[in-house]
Amino acid sequence: MATVNPIPDVPPPSERSGDGLLVLLAAMPQEQRESLLANLMASFPAEALLIASPDAISDALPENSYPSLRIVAAPASGISWTLTAADFVNASQLAEKNGARAILMLGRESSSLGVSALRDLANSVLTASTDLAIPCYDLPPHTGLVNSAILYPLTSALFASRVRFPLAVDLGLSLRMAERLAGAAQHFTRLNQGEAPLWPVNEATVAGFAIDQLEVGPHVQPNGPDLNTIFPLVTGALFSDIEAKAAFWQRFRPLPPALSTVPMPSAHTADAAADIAPMLQAFQLAYTNLQEIWSLVLPPNSLLGLKRIATADAATFRISDNLWARIVYDFLLAYRLRTINRGHLLGALIPLYLAWVASHINITTSGTNPESHIEAVVNAFEAEKTYLISRWRWPDRFNP
Amino acid sequence: MQNVLATMLQPDSNESLQPLYTGNNSIWHHMSDALHQSIYRVLSLLISVLPGILAFIVALAIFTLIGMALSALLRRGLSAAKFDDRIARNSGNVDWAPSTSPTALIARASFWACVLLGLIIGASAFDASYATAAALPSSLLPYLTHVVGAAFLLIAGTLSARFLARSVLIGAVNAQLQYARFLSLGIKWLVLVLTGAMVLDHLQIGGNVVELAFGILFGGIVLTLALAVGLGSRDLVSRSLESHAEHSGEHGVAPTTPPATGSGDSISHF
Repeated sequence: MATVNPIPDVPPPSERSGDGLLVLLAAMPQEQRESLLANLMASFPAEALLIASPDAISDALPENSYPSLRIVAAPASGISWTLTAADFVNASQLAEKNGARAILMLGRESSSLGVSALRDLANSVLTASTDLAIPCYDLPPHTGLVNSAILYPLTSALFASRVRFPLAVDLGLSLRMAERLAGAAQHFTRLNQGEAPLWPVNEATVAGFAIDQLEVGPHVQPNGPDLNTIFPLVTGALFSDIEAKAAFWQRFRPLPPALSTVPMPSAHTADAAADIAPMLQAFQLAYTNLQEIWSLVLPPNSLLGLKRIATADAATFRISDNLWARIVYDFLLAYRLRTINRGHLLGALIPLYLAWVASHINITTSGTNPESHIEAVVNAFEAEKTYLISRWRWPDRFNP
Repeated sequence: MQNVLATMLQPDSNESLQPLYTGNNSIWHHMSDALHQSIYRVLSLLISVLPGILAFIVALAIFTLIGMALSALLRRGLSAAKFDDRIARNSGNVDWAPSTSPTALIARASFWACVLLGLIIGASAFDASYATAAALPSSLLPYLTHVVGAAFLLIAGTLSARFLARSVLIGAVNAQLQYARFLSLGIKWLVLVLTGAMVLDHLQIGGNVVELAFGILFGGIVLTLALAVGLGSRDLVSRSLESHAEHSGEHGVAPTTPPATGSGDSISHF
């Protein structure tokens, strides 16, 4: 890996081993990068930092702009804003090559993280016995809804983890965690699937590594491809990971209670009702056209539930938490059994997800705290886990 | 065998010695001769084909049995060698459904390969015995291969039509196109019409009529779809262009959510 700004008075990596923090940055605009580097230099002594950025390959990060920092080039990430398998392989290789003691991976829009947030994430893996430091963002209501609807409830119920943002793009990793993730990622890179997202929380839970969730305050969610592109990518990757770790999650593990010490996003209330009409229209259109496909995936009971809500008006539109949990579990089972083409399957889930979003917005605008509703969804996923396990083991059994 | 049959089918010589009416006797004699000769030819032909049919059936049965044995052997051997686990380890997260595990696939493939081999050998045996008779039209066997090819075309075309129809339906629904089903049906029938025309052409049925009918049908469906999409998606295209222009003016990046999802400003899916 070419060093863009090799500073003569910086000792070689072998001599610096033990005190280095490798900071792997995603590609970002110049003003964001400057803000982030300023925050990093305010959090740590410059000599303890090794910055790896894909921008160092191009002229976006000039050599003389940060003379006190050691900057190396990192391979560019893909178009997706998520952390991919290739990112984890690169992180592990760079850490090994440069003798880093821990890794801080910072995704797009990480310039919105404050100095204390960056320090907490890094210190958690540098000084404590934590293997995976993961942020808990304080997001406005109606933000990160795929996470709230599918990623968080599934990860919680199946891996007994209370990590609120399993797809966080800012992570602190110990060396052994980085090696473990790189090992998992190599399966994908070997198959030319380096763009696939990885699930660090699931890997850490299966390996028995320590996870620390840290409150990092407000965060700007990164822009990316549209929902129809990113939704199948993310949910498909999670379903694949769940499928691969079936032997682990089928054993009973109680979900830890949502303790008050566990950081949670602030209890925002939805002050303004979002417009749910387009989402309801999307659901109605799908209900008219996708019945044939849904009936291959969902049992009659769930189809009946959908039929009931399809006739409801906008003000009273609700999807019960148990019905939503069963729908997601049935799609997970169909993904495993390849009932229909997997791309089609995940595409057919999008209108149902939009219906859940409309229902969630209705519930929160009626005065319910969004976090309370999301916790209720998690509990429903936990309660329906026996249904998933039963159908996973005996998929051909009668299922009304 | 042929001599015996010829003897059996020869007209009785005594009959010609008892004429009631001389003119009718001659006609009857000729008709009887002609009938007997044609029956003789048909029976001879059937007898000459029978060994070929028998050879075909025997070859097919033997190779089917071999295929079953080989399939069972492979299934046991690969299961004992934990072949599925090895494949799963080497192919990362690409997992297999229980009904389509690598072992099951290999066993099934070997069975059907044996059946196919039996069919080929049976057909060759049939061909060899049939050529000696050389009485049936010589285009029958090549035509059978065309029939098999046409069957494959039909299966592939039907599967492609279903796959494409579903892809279009789901894509159109997620893009909130009101005519999603119509579009999906149009694509499905386009592929089916194309498949039908290819199958008929492969079977050499219809000739120019099929080509002409296919051209009219295909062109008609494409024109209908083009009109429907062109008229129906004006709003969608204008909304998309407006949204793109606004976002490129503000940030220079693509919008995060499509206008079709209708998410308000306060909603972010990720």
